[in-house]
Amino acid sequence: MVGKDCVAIASDLRLGSQSLGVSNNFEKVFNFGHVFLGLTGLASDVTTLSETFRFKTNMYKMREDRLIEPETFANLVSSTLYEKRFGPYFVGPIVAGINSKTEKPFICGFDLIGCIDFAKDFIVAGTASDQLYGMCESVYEPNLEPEDLFETISQALLNAADRDALSGWGAVVYVITKDKIVKRYLKSRQD
Amino acid sequence: MAQTTVASEYSSEVHAEPIEHRFNPYSDNGGTILGIAGEDFAVLAGDTRQSEGYSIQSRSMSKVFDVGDNILMSANGFAADGDALVKAFQNQLKWYHFNHNKELSIHSAARLTQQLLYGKRFFPYYVHTILAGVDEEGKGAVYSFDPVGSYEREQCRAGGAAASLIMPFLDNQVNFKNQMDPSSNGTKKKELRYLSLQEVVNLVKDAFSSATERHINVGDALQIVIVTKDGARTEYHSLKKD
Amino acid sequence: MNHDPFSWGRPSDETYGSYNNAIANAGNVSAFPKMNTQQPIITGTSVIAIKCKDGIIMAADNLGSYGSLARFDDIERLVEVGVNTVVGMSGDISDLQQVQRMLEQLEIDQSYEEETSALRAEHVHEYLSRVFYNRRSKMNPLWNACVVAGLSDDKPILRYVDLLGVTYESACVATGFGGHLAIPLLRQKCDFEAEYADISLDEAEKLVKECMKVLYYRDARALDKYSLCRIDNNAEKKVTITKDVRCEDMKWEFAQHIKGYGTQVV
Repeated sequence: MVGKDCVAIASDLRLGSQSLGVSNNFEKVFNFGHVFLGLTGLASDVTTLSETFRFKTNMYKMREDRLIEPETFANLVSSTLYEKRFGPYFVGPIVAGINSKTEKPFICGFDLIGCIDFAKDFIVAGTASDQLYGMCESVYEPNLEPEDLFETISQALLNAADRDALSGWGAVVYVITKDKIVKRYLKSRQD
Repeated sequence: MAQTTVASEYSSEVHAEPIEHRFNPYSDNGGTILGIAGEDFAVLAGDTRQSEGYSIQSRSMSKVFDVGDNILMSANGFAADGDALVKAFQNQLKWYHFNHNKELSIHSAARLTQQLLYGKRFFPYYVHTILAGVDEEGKGAVYSFDPVGSYEREQCRAGGAAASLIMPFLDNQVNFKNQMDPSSNGTKKKELRYLSLQEVVNLVKDAFSSATERHINVGDALQIVIVTKDGARTEYHSLKKD
Repeated sequence: MNHDPFSWGRPSDETYGSYNNAIANAGNVSAFPKMNTQQPIITGTSVIAIKCKDGIIMAADNLGSYGSLARFDDIERLVEVGVNTVVGMSGDISDLQQVQRMLEQLEIDQSYEEETSALRAEHVHEYLSRVFYNRRSKMNPLWNACVVAGLSDDKPILRYVDLLGVTYESACVATGFGGHLAIPLLRQKCDFEAEYADISLDEAEKLVKECMKVLYYRDARALDKYSLCRIDNNAEKKVTITKDVRCEDMKWEFAQHIKGYGTQVV
């Protein structure tokens, strides 16, 4: 979600095998420098991809002697996913961050083969995406201050996850401003 | 063998079994509905778009009905089944008046609806049904049903195509789910209270304009029917037509 | 030699004896199960209609297709019922003709009840929707999509019902390909119910004729000969059906440039 000079990214903490809950501390948000990546979907692909991107962004850092920017990272995600066009990773990635040079907030989402969805307001992904669309479309407003953005994204995620049997078991929220990152864990229904 | 006509053998080119291509008696006509109960009123709202696949059949089909006795009914899903269910209900209601000479209460209407739905358990009405009205104590009531008649009385319920988009919003804004009392510093849940009619109507409008934005089968116009002990009244609002 | 082409290349009965149906449980023809309409045979394509200030314009072409074969070119698909109702039907022609007989019977039964005909468009539509819904519920559908047009209390009524029993009312209605090709054109003039009051009958007639042309251009199961129904509240005779109307002022020069499929090779 985009706010005024800030972005927020959040995920639930559930890992499940169909209806069986397996873990309640499976974080789906990863960061590579100041760029954040949310990855939902098949857990093994989530882990594989997050490690792939850790490798690729480290290589980028060594070659360029600087951290990767969100826009660049989005294209890296897209091309990495499209490499597996006919045997894709089963994931729903989203990218969020603030460009360190322009200080512009940036978010985008992808389908599982890397088609980028640039959005000005919010991006959702995962099993509760319908619910998240409904929540975000009705509670979101542009140009929120970081604390208000935190409340908005948290309410959107919590209420959406509570209406999805496959989501929940706690949540994590990152609020990113140009010189500060705040990470908070949220309590939620445990059913 | 004497044959009167020259036999064309095409007639025997018949399959021993019928071709395995069954007629599908159902379709999905989109649309979404929403019912909210207040202290002494209830609202039942629905969009007026009727579609099949990617085609909009009509932009102005009401699907919320005042079926009589201060009961609102809407059956959303497969339009033909929805209409049939509402007609069956109205017919039963007429006979109820003839036989008992009194109004049908909302909880009896709910039980009747269950009987009608479960009566077709093995060839179901493909609809999500919502009833709204005022109960015998004068409190607003909303009953919601699955296609085969399971039902529950609730404070609010969304049904149909965009139910999954609207329902979490309702949990949050009607039942104050995940909301805390601001003065308690996160130790106490926000207390439940009845919403005013104006608040409810505003929620309904917000819910539908959000659903219209993200769901292709929702749009055109919004019909909101408000029922109190004094009767029902309808208002229309426009929604996006794309 | 057996001269029936159907027998060519098959083992002859003289040499091999008649075919044994018991082999591989082939079954025999007489034990064939009861069959309901599972697919239409002779079909009619789109019906299109639009409401306007003083009535309704509706059109349906005269083609009866047998799959891709243009089998009949004189099928009438607009059926008059009572004094101010017309039903336009697409889909299976034999089912259409059965519905036509049912509507005639309805009219007769109705005339026994009352001296003046009380059968109006909304009644005809209600009747048809019940018939279609009952047949679909028996898994034995009448394979049609119908448009019911008429006047009731001087107001135009335009409704739809199809093989599933799905019904709706709209200012412009079209079945089949018309839903894709004609509806966008009709809605340019009349998108919302209330707008129909701004269109005159002549304007609507021109528009419907234009739509029939577009349908003939792009619907391979359409014909350039059609029946046009004009329901005019101000006329002496409220319903007039003009037969054998032709699509006019068409341009086919583009056709010679179409290559890559059909008979012309690239």
